[in-house]
This record gives sequence, C-alpha cells and structure tokens, in this order.
Amino acid sequence: MIDRETVEKVIFDALRNLNEERPTNEQIKVSSETELFGGQSSLDSLSLVSIVVDIEAEIADLSNAEVSLTDERAMSQEISPFNNVNTLTNYILLLLSEYGNAT
Amino acid sequence: MPLSTQYFGKNILITGSSRGVGRLLAEYLTSNGALVIGFSRGESSLAHSNYRHIKVDIGDPHSIQHGFRNIKDLVSHLDILINNAGVATSQYAMVMLSKDVQEMLNVNILGSFLVSREASKLMRKNKWGRIINMGSIMSSLEPAGGSIYAASKAALITMSNVMAKELSSLNITCNTLALSGYPTEMMDSLSPEVLKNVIEGLTIPRLTTGDDIFNVIDFLSSDRSSFITAQTIYLGGVN
Repeated sequence: MIDRETVEKVIFDALRNLNEERPTNEQIKVSSETELFGGQSSLDSLSLVSIVVDIEAEIADLSNAEVSLTDERAMSQEISPFNNVNTLTNYILLLLSEYGNAT
Repeated sequence: MPLSTQYFGKNILITGSSRGVGRLLAEYLTSNGALVIGFSRGESSLAHSNYRHIKVDIGDPHSIQHGFRNIKDLVSHLDILINNAGVATSQYAMVMLSKDVQEMLNVNILGSFLVSREASKLMRKNKWGRIINMGSIMSSLEPAGGSIYAASKAALITMSNVMAKELSSLNITCNTLALSGYPTEMMDSLSPEVLKNVIEGLTIPRLTTGDDIFNVIDFLSSDRSSFITAQTIYLGGVN
C-alpha cells in the first residue's frame, strides 16, 4: 500500500532528476506547491514528459499498478492533475485507490 | 564476421530476432560483445552467452508491455534498439485482404512505435541511445503490389524523423536503414516478378549482403554518429 508521503516523494525525486539535467539558474523548486504545467510553471513540454515517465515507472515498480497520467481521463479532470505537485499527488492516490494500492 | 569493439558493454534490443536479418544481426552483435535481447513470436535457436530471448508478438501491444517488463528484469537500461520486425504481403490492392493490411500496420507501424516508445524510456536514463528502424527501398520505389507494405515503411521513416526531434535533447538518435533485397523468408513472400524488377532497377543491381547491413548498423550505432539523426540510408543506390 502506498501512502501520500510516498507518492509525493516519487514526484519530488522526478523533479530532482530533472534538476540534474538543467543548468543551475533554471532549477525547479521542489515542493508541494510547485506548478507543473501552465501558469507559473517553468517546465517545457519535454520536461513534463520526462517527469511523467519517471513517475509512471516508479509507481509501477512500487505498486505493480500501471497508471497512466496522460490518458483522456487525466486530461478531462475538472482540476488538472498537473496544476502542481499537490494535485498530481491527489490524482495518483485516486488511481492507486482504484487498484486497492493506496492508503 | 568483422570484429567491432564499439558494442562491448552495450545493451541492444532487436525485434524479429529469430529469423532473417534480425537473426543475422543478433549473431553479429553478440559476437562483437553486445548483450542482445531478442523479441520474436517464437523461440530462437540462437545459443550464445550474450543472447537473451523473450517471446513477444510485435503486433500485440499487451505482448510488447510484457516483453518490456521482462527486459527490466535483465538490464537497467538500453543503448540500441533495432526495430527489425516486419510483415510483408505483396498483393494487388483490389484483392488485398483487410486482415493482411491490418497485420502489416500492426507490426510495421504500431508495434515499431510502441517498442520505440518503451525503449526510449530505458535510453533516457543514460542520456544516450540509438534507434535504428529497418525500412525498405519499397517506400521509395513504390512497386505494384506493395501499396500497404510500402506505405507502412514510408510511415516508419516519418515516425523515425519525428521521434528524432523529440529525443534529440536526450542524445538519442533515430535513423532508418532502408533495406534492399536480402534473401530471407520475407523476401520469398514477394512475387518473383516484383523481386526481379526491383533488383534490376537498382543502381547496383544485386542482392544485399550481410556486410552491407553491418556497415550501416555500425555507422548509425557509433558514438561518432551523435550528429546523424532523422536520416534514411537506402541500400543499392535507391533514393
């Protein structure tokens, strides 16, 4: 069973991985409030794809659940999962709960 | 076979590895020091300490997912993908069966895309990768009977060129080797008349040899080819 703290850590790790690939003056803040897409987000589309790939792979490793974060359902959520780390955490927990893998 | 040191320590995935060009490449690359993982529908008779075989139907997305789950148990990353699996049916369009059309599209396009998608995720970890798609001179020659096969190979080139753009920042190159006639079971599926016309129409009118293929694979796989991407190399003088 995966809890909120674990999901958040997976997202933070993905952001840290991305930071390793970015110059020092383009580092992304790693926090629950970090915006991922639109608005104040400093991520371009390929960076967002990189994060999604890392998160999907890590969640699959931890839970054996193959969650898709970019399918129609994700894109049609009233509150976009990609608003910030917090909304993405909520969305992943929702998907995992349907697999019976979230606490 | 020539000895190349560039493959030592490299993890290579070849689709369609049990027969024809895929088998030839699996033998070449294992004997040159690579760890080769092969996908094909059936078993492989290739017995080499550097070869791992996984039964995967490239025309089936679920089977591809299964294959990649197994790959992750074998290696932490991939260096080179050779998208070799392909299906060819030569038939006049008016009598081409829809099931044959579907099979060609499933394997030659959808399967190649899904394998590339999953392989690129395993290449980005090392920020190095080479995706080589096995195209065909048919996409340029557009012979009668090849409507869907030629179209699928043309689509493969376009897919490769677009993915080259998407993956360039990860130091992953995507290129296409457009094969000419190499004696395989697949070539047997072409009508002798079509084959004869194709070979005679080449600038250099002969069949492809294994070394013709190794030469281009070596070139596209090389560290020095990091600036070579979104290219199609035709064998036999086709353009």
